[in-house]
Amino acid sequence: MEEHAPHSTEPLIELTVNRVVEETHTDTRIVVLTRTDGSAENFTVWVGAPEGESINRALSTDVTPRPMSHDLIKNFGEHLGIKTQRVVLTDVKSSTYYATVHLENRGVVRTIDARPSDAIALALRCQAPIYVSQDVWRRRSGQNLEAWLTRLETKKIGTQEV
Amino acid sequence: MITQMQVKGLMFDPYNNAYIVILRDEEQAEMLPIWVGKSEASSISLALENVAPPRPMTHDFMKSYLDAFNAKVISVVITDLNDNTYFAKVHLMYEDSEYAVDSRPSDAIALALRSQAPIFASESVIRKQSSEELDQWLENLKPEDFGKLDS
Repeated sequence: MEEHAPHSTEPLIELTVNRVVEETHTDTRIVVLTRTDGSAENFTVWVGAPEGESINRALSTDVTPRPMSHDLIKNFGEHLGIKTQRVVLTDVKSSTYYATVHLENRGVVRTIDARPSDAIALALRCQAPIYVSQDVWRRRSGQNLEAWLTRLETKKIGTQEV
Repeated sequence: MITQMQVKGLMFDPYNNAYIVILRDEEQAEMLPIWVGKSEASSISLALENVAPPRPMTHDFMKSYLDAFNAKVISVVITDLNDNTYFAKVHLMYEDSEYAVDSRPSDAIALALRSQAPIFASESVIRKQSSEELDQWLENLKPEDFGKLDS
């Protein structure tokens, strides 16, 4: 089934999290997402360090001894029967991205606003697809970040641990 | 037996570069110090000061998630203390059923403060935590060690 943004007939673009890059100067993390349709272009989202680490943990198979905040949300869902259907990066204003999380329980569908970091951290834990609207994709920032990211990563290899 | 606790404040622990949430019972007879990470501490601090951040934090998102389906946080309970690690449970009411979900105390407290839900500690936790050691530790703290949360 093709996913469409509200009030738009353009299909959404599905993304997958490729990696999380550490930016030590500002203590932030850069989430690098790629398109699942094989297009080479990236989508990057700046997130806070704890949210970035939460996304990183979901990418690795390491099990944390204690449930982190996003694991707790997932556990709430498992207890109550709430399913995370998908998350969508819906808007960008002044370089800030906005997302929605689509939830379902016994046929009742709810959409809640979220920061992309929380949305992505939850989606990865629930095996829910991540989408971006065509409009946000076109307005994405940092389209020429590849070279810069590579430099950052070469410098920071093996220092993902906080 | 469980005792209702209030969040009395947050302190910076310069020795462990962490934050301590101070819980006290109503008679001020018992005190529970709970060490939490920086991001959890700032989330608890924002809820204590009733400050709405420009963007919702993870615990605000957590609350929206529960609100979307009218699931209510009835209470949170600090249930156990083992090797200096506290364990907690979040009690939810959803469609006439109650659920208890394991949680870190930091998440439980941050969520309780946003949901106006009471915070309890089990008797065994209060018994286990050695307040004597803590009193000594607190006495050694200087006033400057307080209120460093906005770093």
